Amino acid sequence: MKKVAVLTDSNSGITQSEAGSLGVSVLPMPFYINEKEYFEDITLTQEQFYEALKGDADIHTSQPSPEQVMKLWDRMLEDYEEIVYIPMSSGLSGSCQSARMLAEDYEGRVQVVNDQRISVTQRQHCIDAVALAEKGFGAAEIREILEREKYSSSIYIMLDTLYYLRKGGRITPAAAAIGTMLRLKPVLTIQGEKLDAFAKARTSAQGKNMMIQAIRKDMETRFGGISPDRINLEMAYTHDKEAAESYKAEVQAAFPDFDIVLNPLSLSVSCHIGPGALAVACSCKIPELM
Amino acid sequence: MSVSQIDTALLGRMFLAGAKNLEKNKDLINELNVFPVPDGDTGTNMTMTIMSAARDVAGLGDSADMKTLCKAISSGSLRGARGNSGVILSQLLRGFTRRIKEESVLTIPVITEAFAKAVETAYKAVMVPKEGTILTVARGISEKARDLNEDGCMDLEVFLTECLKQGELTLEQTPEMLPVLKQAGVVDSGGKGLVMALAGAIDLFLGKEVDLTISDTPTETPQEEEEPVYANLYCVALSVALEKPFRLKQELDLRAYLESFGERVKVTSTEETLTIHTDTNDPGMVLQKALTYGELYNVSVKNQKVEKVEHEKDEEETFTQKAPAPEPEGPVKPVGFIAVSVGDGLAEIFRSLGVDYVIEGGQTMNPSTEDILNAISKVRAQTVFVLPNNKNIILAANQAAELTTDKTVLVIPTKTIPQGITAAINFVPDNTNDENEQAMMAEIQRVRSGEITYAVRDTMIDDKTIEKGDYMGIGDKGILAVDKDLTETVKGMLAEMIDESSELVSVYYGCDVTEEDANAMADCIRTQFPGVDVELQMGGQPIYYYIMSVE
Repeated sequence: MKKVAVLTDSNSGITQSEAGSLGVSVLPMPFYINEKEYFEDITLTQEQFYEALKGDADIHTSQPSPEQVMKLWDRMLEDYEEIVYIPMSSGLSGSCQSARMLAEDYEGRVQVVNDQRISVTQRQHCIDAVALAEKGFGAAEIREILEREKYSSSIYIMLDTLYYLRKGGRITPAAAAIGTMLRLKPVLTIQGEKLDAFAKARTSAQGKNMMIQAIRKDMETRFGGISPDRINLEMAYTHDKEAAESYKAEVQAAFPDFDIVLNPLSLSVSCHIGPGALAVACSCKIPELM
Repeated sequence: MSVSQIDTALLGRMFLAGAKNLEKNKDLINELNVFPVPDGDTGTNMTMTIMSAARDVAGLGDSADMKTLCKAISSGSLRGARGNSGVILSQLLRGFTRRIKEESVLTIPVITEAFAKAVETAYKAVMVPKEGTILTVARGISEKARDLNEDGCMDLEVFLTECLKQGELTLEQTPEMLPVLKQAGVVDSGGKGLVMALAGAIDLFLGKEVDLTISDTPTETPQEEEEPVYANLYCVALSVALEKPFRLKQELDLRAYLESFGERVKVTSTEETLTIHTDTNDPGMVLQKALTYGELYNVSVKNQKVEKVEHEKDEEETFTQKAPAPEPEGPVKPVGFIAVSVGDGLAEIFRSLGVDYVIEGGQTMNPSTEDILNAISKVRAQTVFVLPNNKNIILAANQAAELTTDKTVLVIPTKTIPQGITAAINFVPDNTNDENEQAMMAEIQRVRSGEITYAVRDTMIDDKTIEKGDYMGIGDKGILAVDKDLTETVKGMLAEMIDESSELVSVYYGCDVTEEDANAMADCIRTQFPGVDVELQMGGQPIYYYIMSVE
């Protein structure tokens, strides 16, 4: 029997096809389009999703049901001794909290990580967890390490419009106050728990530049300097891959020594921020893996 | 008669005479503006600057000592300074009085040194001093004084007359030093103002009769002074429980309607409530109109002649007020913003971007240093960013920053409204003041601004022949387009501003443009430049039909 399994949810942006090669299992997040339930990457593609989103369909996300979660855990525990479960940030969803409750009945065999990650930084922690497991760390140790590192990441997201965020009600008052008169591109940030307003830009060029400066500053002042040895640089986008690739070239020029990972944002994040969003993130590498 | 010194009383009278002569020639100086825009105002700005000091000086009486007189001249002009020429004039006066304040009488050597000190102080106040301006004229005078003093000139009458002559001579040479002056066929307006002030002072010295009465109130005020006779007898105040939320456009329309038969109009609205204050002779019309929006409550109509009416204190904002406004209550924020702007729409845009205080002014009315100081005192913040939004206001803002001791004041030298909007947008609350200042400075360089107005006279500028009444598109570095047709002017100007990296054209239309015409103009721009987004906003500014930016 293998020792530690790593499980995450589809908010990590890890697709079902990618999951196998990374050695991770992915729990699909359920969401509802016009009252009908779908599972990300299982019963709905990105294309179908954006079509529905742009068509102003009524889209809701939901936590995975307890039944769904426990079924998967039970099945995985047939092959593995322990599970490290890395759900999306507890600041953005209640699924972490629910999973912790469910895990109480598993006598420590399921370790639910509350590491405040989402999207590309959550993905990176999954990869880190696999590497830690390979090094022989147990599930509880891995959870402790990942939770210790929870604030050593930073995400900036520029939205094309505030429309979807307002519509979903997932917006702090500060962010809602942005750009009531002029059409502005909000730049949001995720630092640990919550999504908040960081700044605003008049044009996407301004916003992109602003995010590069912000990441640079975080690296310099919070994460010990601009070094690819210590820091991962990640990017994400919703829907517009071409724009994302072109922005990636700009980010690469600003940080020439880094290998940049670019991934689409998960659909359950996308449905709150809409198409055309660009994100840059950085997270610290884990000392135990260096 | 050969007088060899000037005492305090004579100096005070000479100063007043100088101020009066500057005032008398105000319009002449206004005419000298290089740009034939309808807001040529060097004469007005310099006059208002010197009159602010003159009122303080006139209030002293004849018995004041030199120190008191110097303080009145210096602080009065510093606080009253508006426009670049006004600020430079105030710095000249400040330098001059610094040298003489310990003296009891002025002699030729003292005046010579004071002139030198004046020139030194004024040059320092300007970041990049330009020759062919008021600075050059002042320096010419100062150097002449130095030569005369070195040659042993003992006759004050000769000394002063020669200095003035040199001033006139240098002024005549300014077109040779500054090509824009030569092309426009004018001498420097600020230099002209300085010469006029000096000429007035010397006239008095030479014994010419001069009327020295200085009126207690400024000759031009941004807002009408309160008159003892009530043009509008009734003060009407009421609230309306709104049936539907009010849009800005409706609010502005209502205000315009009320202003057509009333004054002191105040209209404010929240989601559910509309409040109206106005003075009028026809309270019935106010009530009738208000009824169309919902149910009325808290209605009051007072006869101002017989009932005491406490007006809201917006009069504090006029620059006649001497004492600084008391600090308003409320928590102190880390950072606050002040913007200079004109037009309801633009003011609303600045407020929506987090600006705490909008100083009404700009193109047609440069706020004084004191206006900016008052605004700074009203913003409860440790650091206050000031966005002057006009190149002729930056120096006055810098001067206000220097005169403020209890807060950090950072002036972002925004030269246009679009630059100011960009600066406000790029403020990041989590960043340090330094980082914000740097980011704002960098971003304002990336915005291209253009303004459309009309020419008030025939002239030649930037190799373009302009006839009175032509439309002009003025960019950051000069005139971009001139045409008899408004649309062609806009197209021509934008063609110069837009390149392949441009994403967005913002159009702020003025109070003389209808919404319909503005929409048509925006469509025309979209057709002409399909590669960019066009965003239209109501600016409400006077004189400039359109203010545009390309980013």
